[in-house]
Amino acid sequence: MAQSRDAGPDHERTDVLQGTLDMLVLRAIQLEPMHGWGITERIEQWSGQVLQVGQGTLYPALYRLERQGLIDSTWRVTENNRRARYYALTPAGRRQLARETRSWERRSRAINQVLAASLRAEETP
Amino acid sequence: MTWPPAWWRRLRAVWQRDAFERGVAEEMQFHLDQQTEKNIRLGMAPEEARRHARLAFGGHDQVREESREAHGGIFLDTLNQDVRYGLRLLRNTPGFTAIAVLTLALGIGATTTTFSVVSGLFLRVPAVRSPNDLVVVSSTAPTNRSGANRSPVSAADYLDWRAQASRFEGLVAADFDELTLSGPATPEPVSGARVSSDFLHVLGVQPILGRVILPGDERPDADRVAVLSEDLWRGTFDGDRHVLGRPIKINGTPYVVAGVIPENFLPWDFDAQVWIPLDFSRDDKGEMGPDRRGVRLLRVVGRLKRGTSASQADAQVKTIAQRIAQAHSDTNQGWGASVVSLHEFSVADSSAKAALTVLMAAVGFVLLIACANLAGLLLARHSRRRREFSLRAALGAGRWRLGRQLLTECLLLALAGGALGTLLAIGGVRAVTAQFNWSASAIAIGKAIVIDGGVLAFTAIISILAAVTFGIAPAFHSSRTAPAENLKDLGRGTTVGRGGLRLQRLLVIGQLALSLILLMGAGLLVDAFIQEMRQTGGFNPSNLLTASVSLRGLPYEGAPPRQAAFFSRALGLVEGIPQVEAAALASALPFQFPGPVHYAIEGNPVPKVADQLSCGDISVSPGYFATMGIPLLQGREFGSSDTAETAPVAIVDQAFATKHFPRAGAVGRRILIRSDQPARRHWSEIVGVVGNVNEFLGEAQPRAHIFEPFLAEPAGTMTFAIRTLTEPGTVSSALRRAIETVDPDQALSLKTMAQVVADSGQGDSLLTALMSTFALIAVVLAAIGIYGVLAALGAQRTQEIGIRMALGARRFQVLQIMMRRGLLLIGVGLAIGLVGSLMLPRLFHSAFYGLVFNGPLDLTIAALTVFGIAAGACWIPAHRAMQVDPMVALRHD
Repeated sequence: MAQSRDAGPDHERTDVLQGTLDMLVLRAIQLEPMHGWGITERIEQWSGQVLQVGQGTLYPALYRLERQGLIDSTWRVTENNRRARYYALTPAGRRQLARETRSWERRSRAINQVLAASLRAEETP
Repeated sequence: MTWPPAWWRRLRAVWQRDAFERGVAEEMQFHLDQQTEKNIRLGMAPEEARRHARLAFGGHDQVREESREAHGGIFLDTLNQDVRYGLRLLRNTPGFTAIAVLTLALGIGATTTTFSVVSGLFLRVPAVRSPNDLVVVSSTAPTNRSGANRSPVSAADYLDWRAQASRFEGLVAADFDELTLSGPATPEPVSGARVSSDFLHVLGVQPILGRVILPGDERPDADRVAVLSEDLWRGTFDGDRHVLGRPIKINGTPYVVAGVIPENFLPWDFDAQVWIPLDFSRDDKGEMGPDRRGVRLLRVVGRLKRGTSASQADAQVKTIAQRIAQAHSDTNQGWGASVVSLHEFSVADSSAKAALTVLMAAVGFVLLIACANLAGLLLARHSRRRREFSLRAALGAGRWRLGRQLLTECLLLALAGGALGTLLAIGGVRAVTAQFNWSASAIAIGKAIVIDGGVLAFTAIISILAAVTFGIAPAFHSSRTAPAENLKDLGRGTTVGRGGLRLQRLLVIGQLALSLILLMGAGLLVDAFIQEMRQTGGFNPSNLLTASVSLRGLPYEGAPPRQAAFFSRALGLVEGIPQVEAAALASALPFQFPGPVHYAIEGNPVPKVADQLSCGDISVSPGYFATMGIPLLQGREFGSSDTAETAPVAIVDQAFATKHFPRAGAVGRRILIRSDQPARRHWSEIVGVVGNVNEFLGEAQPRAHIFEPFLAEPAGTMTFAIRTLTEPGTVSSALRRAIETVDPDQALSLKTMAQVVADSGQGDSLLTALMSTFALIAVVLAAIGIYGVLAALGAQRTQEIGIRMALGARRFQVLQIMMRRGLLLIGVGLAIGLVGSLMLPRLFHSAFYGLVFNGPLDLTIAALTVFGIAAGACWIPAHRAMQVDPMVALRHD
């Protein structure tokens, strides 16, 4: 769900890679429970404003993860005295995050190696 | 695992849907507000900040929908939707729903009724210890008559087998016979069994009260004990728990009640209400002695030793039987033995099996017709609903979702049809069990027919299978359609569901063919039955009451003069009852099967026993033929002067006279009766010839009979034939009093002559009734089916008909077009049905021995009936099409 927002010309913004949203959401709430808005903000912030999470995909993902028992939600009051739903990792979610992180690292290393190899190949002639 | 578990969350989501939706809305709003605030912080004007936030958020409803789906509970939620939508639709089309449910209910009701009969009679597991180890050991007769390999066994043979066979853990025997029970009430005939004292013990029957018969009970010094069946205990003894030790009389001999056992613990071939021990060394009637090897009365049951097969036991008993046959060639020449499992013995009964096979086939046809109707109805309905489905598909409903909607509707129909069908089956089973009334053991059989868990499971499976298989075809048919094409088509209102209608036509042809075959089958049976009833013209069955007395008790055993005296006195009293016009006695009435007698004709040599002539032998009182209305063709009836002391006389029937004296008259000739028994045989002079009497229903060639005067040859069991001036039931109490006056220990069993006739056919009337019902249901369903097709055709072609009429076609021509369609379907269906029916008479002839089937006439009547009903069903929609107003039809979309 690409949303174009005002951004500087030097910023190249991109949607979250398919299949990684769950992992990013789990990672975002690993340290402390957060509400949906907080999760989008944190992912943007941690990715150096590169990754942005469309709200249209975030909430369905949250409900799905909750249904799968990976996260839990409670209604709490924010610093500004508003009611918001806070999401927290369950033990199952914690395990899932570890699994996904490991598998992502393996895959990205592999992709990097492929890319590095092809770059060398271009340089050779 | 987290708590609460996922399934609970999912379930909770269904009824917490509203709360969840409110939560989502609030969360979305929060998100929007946060984004707006951020935009303001970045320097936007409040209005612009809000607009940007909303733009960034995307479609509100879409997010909500996706959230809902992701949250779960979506399946149950749509199921709920499907069910509610389905129910609403079914309610909105009450005609369709009623016909579909009724169709299913009829099919399922008929199937369930038949299945409970089959399950009650044939799938029942005997309530004894390890029934699979039980076998029935029978004698095999030298002839190859049907049933010859399952003859009863003589006591002498049984005792030899028991002494020599090593393959059995126990080998037990029973003599099943009607007994007279007195003590709790007036004497009544009950089904009884005299059993070897280990019988119940070896079978492992658990008593409800007291104990079973045990080894030692048969000894002369032991008390005479009897065991009652639960049914008799609850009925005659009012379920009295203090019944143990109570004195009763059986056949006039005192006994003491020792226990109560469940009934029907064995297949119905072995049923009894009273069980008493049998002492082989001290038998009152002298039927069990070592010198009576030719008297075969016992049913023998064996319990196989562990690890022994029935065939091993069979081989061993056969060897023993062979040895016995060599040692006792006078009685056992050619006789062998066979061992079959209990199940095989009771199920392999050929006539019941044939009847049930026919019933099962018939009910299968009914179910098929019902299902075809359902499929036809659903097809027609779906072609009408194509626009709805195309629209829903165009709006994004998935194919699976649409298919599921249809399936839900089918299941709802199945549920309603199954429930109503079960109700019908309850009525059906009640009607069927009421038919099992021709004897005490038949009543016991009837009680085994119940709708139990197994039957209900069967019904559930049948209903769901029927609805799903026949509902899913139309579902696939309509889900395959391309929405755009359909919407275009429908806009023009032409060619609706061509494919669907083709399938529907095939279904109707099949239905017509099947219902013709069914009607034909029922017709053949009914016709054979009616024909047989007509053949009773040999006597007059109206206002004829019969009362059978089996003399019981020591004074009468082996004392023919006492038997003759009892019956003469009783007959005198019965004749004195005011409402009685005439009364007589016979050892066997028409439609009862008399025992055979060997005889020889004077002037012909008397051959060896095995080659002697034999025919039916009946003892009758003076005036019997006049009372029954059997015509006396030559000579005279017996008189009171024809006794044991006077010159022996006999009367023969026409079959006998034609067989032996085709040219000259039979009167005055002499025959040697009981030519095989040197001690009792004597020459008798034929004094009269009477009309033929039948022994069973549908008998094509009457068996020959010899009648003897009962004063000379009395029998222990004789039946009064009483012609009454009033309704036969009115004399029954006076009749009982008359018998009681002569001997209070004797029991009486009353039947009208019509009942006697019906009983000789036993299950035939039941079979006929069931077949007729099934055939009727089938024809009605087929008529509904063809009506449905023509109605759909008419509705579909309304526009075409309108155009034709606008162009000048006359109404009659329209009617012709429509009727031609219908008649074509009927013609093809009937032709296929006719071909199928052609094999029925031959099939029935081999299944129901002795019945006469009138093929061509029945077939014509059946075909005309189906044609008439089907053509009538066509007429209604055809006539409606004729009434089409061209203007309305052309505007019709």
